[in-house]
Amino acid sequence: MSNSNKPSNRRKFLTNLTQIMGGVGGVFAVIPFLSTMSPSEKAKAAGAPVEIDVSALRPGSYKIVEWRGKPVWVVRRTEEMIRNTLEDDKVLSDPKSLGEHQPIYTKNKYRSINPEFLVLVGVCTHLGCSPLYKPNAKSAELGLDWNGGFFCPCHGSKFDLSGRVHKAMPAPSNLEVPPYYFASDNKIIVGEDGEKS
Amino acid sequence: MDKFITWIDERLPVSNFVKNHLSQYYAPKNFNFFYYFGALAIFIFILQIVTGIFLTINYKPDAASAFASVEYIMRDVEWGWLIRYLHSTGASFFFVVIYLHMFRAMLYGSYKNPRELLWLFGMLIFVLLMAEAFMGYLLPWGQMSYWGAQVIISLFGAIPYIGESLALWIRGDYVISDATLNRFFAFHVIALPLLLFALIYLHLAALHTNGSNNPDGIEIKKNKDANGVPLDGIPFHPYYTVKDIFGLSVFLLIFTFVVFFMPELGGYFLEKDNFVPADPLKTPEHIVPVWYFTPFYAILRAIPDKVGGVLAMGAAIFVLFVLPWIDRCSVKSIRYRGMSYKVLLTLFVISFFGLGYIGMNPATPVLTWIGRLFTLIYFGFFVALYFTSANEKTKEPPDRVTMHD
Amino acid sequence: MIRILLITAIMILPVHAYAASQSMPLKSVLIDLNNKSSLQRGAQIYVNNCLGCHTLKYQRYVKFVDHLQLPAETIENNLIFTTNKDGEATKIGSLILNSVNPDHATEAFGVMPPDLTLIARSRGADWLYTFLTSFYKDETRPLGVNNSLYSNVGMPHVLVWMEGLKKQSSETGGYEYINKGTMTSAEYDNAMTDLVNFLVYVAEPAQLDRYRIGFWVILFLGVFSFIAFLLKSEYWKDVK
Repeated sequence: MSNSNKPSNRRKFLTNLTQIMGGVGGVFAVIPFLSTMSPSEKAKAAGAPVEIDVSALRPGSYKIVEWRGKPVWVVRRTEEMIRNTLEDDKVLSDPKSLGEHQPIYTKNKYRSINPEFLVLVGVCTHLGCSPLYKPNAKSAELGLDWNGGFFCPCHGSKFDLSGRVHKAMPAPSNLEVPPYYFASDNKIIVGEDGEKS
Repeated sequence: MDKFITWIDERLPVSNFVKNHLSQYYAPKNFNFFYYFGALAIFIFILQIVTGIFLTINYKPDAASAFASVEYIMRDVEWGWLIRYLHSTGASFFFVVIYLHMFRAMLYGSYKNPRELLWLFGMLIFVLLMAEAFMGYLLPWGQMSYWGAQVIISLFGAIPYIGESLALWIRGDYVISDATLNRFFAFHVIALPLLLFALIYLHLAALHTNGSNNPDGIEIKKNKDANGVPLDGIPFHPYYTVKDIFGLSVFLLIFTFVVFFMPELGGYFLEKDNFVPADPLKTPEHIVPVWYFTPFYAILRAIPDKVGGVLAMGAAIFVLFVLPWIDRCSVKSIRYRGMSYKVLLTLFVISFFGLGYIGMNPATPVLTWIGRLFTLIYFGFFVALYFTSANEKTKEPPDRVTMHD
Repeated sequence: MIRILLITAIMILPVHAYAASQSMPLKSVLIDLNNKSSLQRGAQIYVNNCLGCHTLKYQRYVKFVDHLQLPAETIENNLIFTTNKDGEATKIGSLILNSVNPDHATEAFGVMPPDLTLIARSRGADWLYTFLTSFYKDETRPLGVNNSLYSNVGMPHVLVWMEGLKKQSSETGGYEYINKGTMTSAEYDNAMTDLVNFLVYVAEPAQLDRYRIGFWVILFLGVFSFIAFLLKSEYWKDVK
């Protein structure tokens, strides 16, 4: 055995090279293992975009469909509801939808592509209850200053007709808008961005 | 950093452990090719545990959905096919490695005084590994899984008096069924791996008590320098760690070649009939166990009597346990043993391969007779060894280890 | 060392190939999974002629996008003919199923037509190819045809419109055609090659990945083994 305790340069170099290559190989070997835990083709097929036909939806009414196990609302707003949609004022917590809770093409006052149709994930951003649809203004239940919107019965969060949360509510942010696009005038595809965006 | 290590060492002597088992654990310097397989067996054990965990994430132990869940892993789970092939190929390679590891012990007398207990732990690991592999093979719920399990479990039925009720108890049903699948799953993924883990720990603890044997079969601890370091020993780390890294990389080269280019290995690692879902009403033409069981299966078939066959198969495994007491020669390594041991061991290896081949093939009359001959040689090895080993004409082993190979 | 390698080789390499008892020698078929147009034609033949009875229940249509290089619309328009119970077209992410009623099928053919996803793994490509080209006229059978590879098969000769009908000639032992189909004999053989090629792909889609990835893994480990060997030799210079 050699008595010198100082390893030669060649030895150091080969040790480092083996460690680096082993490390790189190890990282590549870990990827397949971790990937098996991501959604499988079955989960992706179950979470595929859904098609909603809105031709039969009367103004003022709404429809619930399931997408990735969550309720998605499609509300067909009346002229009056569009008019009642709150301008920026003291009531709303994030009137300009600055929080990233919607695709970029719905970052507007109506939080929609076409103001007539509102598409929202119907899950309260507080603790995941499903809020109720309360379209009529000035209700006995919600007070005279109520302009129509959504009300979560679990902890009383209020949202306006564009799903924007009122100030000082348990819910921290606006309701989420899922990615969607109009395949035709009466057909909405939820779960996928349109080609233009 | 030094402070941290001191802090740890005061509470758990990690540095001492590393010193005693790696950097100042002295292993003989003359290890040859056969000494790679112990480390490789540990590697495969870990590989099987890890791939097993990731398979369990998507596998369903339910007769109605087990087969489909394996295909789901093969197709719909990202990279699932790779994990599955690593596991299935790993099972076969485990036995390749273990058989070579055991053969090494027979070549160099590693089971002899003072390492008999080490050998016994090893044999227990081997038996548990066979149980582990057998139960794992039922899980894909293909035709071969089903009928293979059917045949093996009915072997228990051959035991006098209690046999039938024992087989019934193992199955938990009158046939192999969902109940059997579910319990085999539990044993395969929890019970047996835990036992194996404990036994491997004991196997290594026993190994490090007396240190490794070597191809010359002499004790390196008999020749020490002034500091008490064996003259023919080298520290395990770095010398054997770098050597085992090399061995592992060559092993992986062969192993991944099979995984990526021939995972079925022509029907030996994954049998063709196992791509047909289990059907209790339709027996495959030719039921054949996976290759690593076939030597013992051939012994079973060689005896023309059900109880006798089962006893012979059990004896074939049991006799290996008592090998340290059958072999009475004081010289360990085949290098210095007499001609009789060399001839006997050669015949034993031939009979083992021969039995393996016969176990894979349909029982034609000719093969059955050859199978009987090989069975005779298999057991004859142990009988002849008992009588010849006591007065074997051996050479004088050297005082110090020799380096070649 | 050579002896050691030999022992290892014997333990690892297959000594013989499996051969189930066979009534005739198998014709060999050339499988090429990189030939995407062959796979596409095979898929087309399958959904038009076979899927009516035989599902591919472990495979999803959507896999054809990557594996067969077909756009999603092409698959939806040309390969998906089934609907759900409300009459909506089957989604592309679905498994490849059909609507065979097991009771009716068992009555008609004696057995439920088996799922064929894994048939190429359990039977082998050559067996399938030989089977598909071995139907002949046999009036004694309920369906009027028999198969030289799989005698007394319960399956009708579905592709008779392509191949035509042949009968066994008693003198030569070969076949002669008694009805013409839409294809010549050579065209039919090519079509069956495509179909078997497709079935081999469906039996194990991972084949498309594993050869490609395997190449890089082996290359990496080859280099790594070399470095590890140098490292080992470097350290072992000390040992005398």
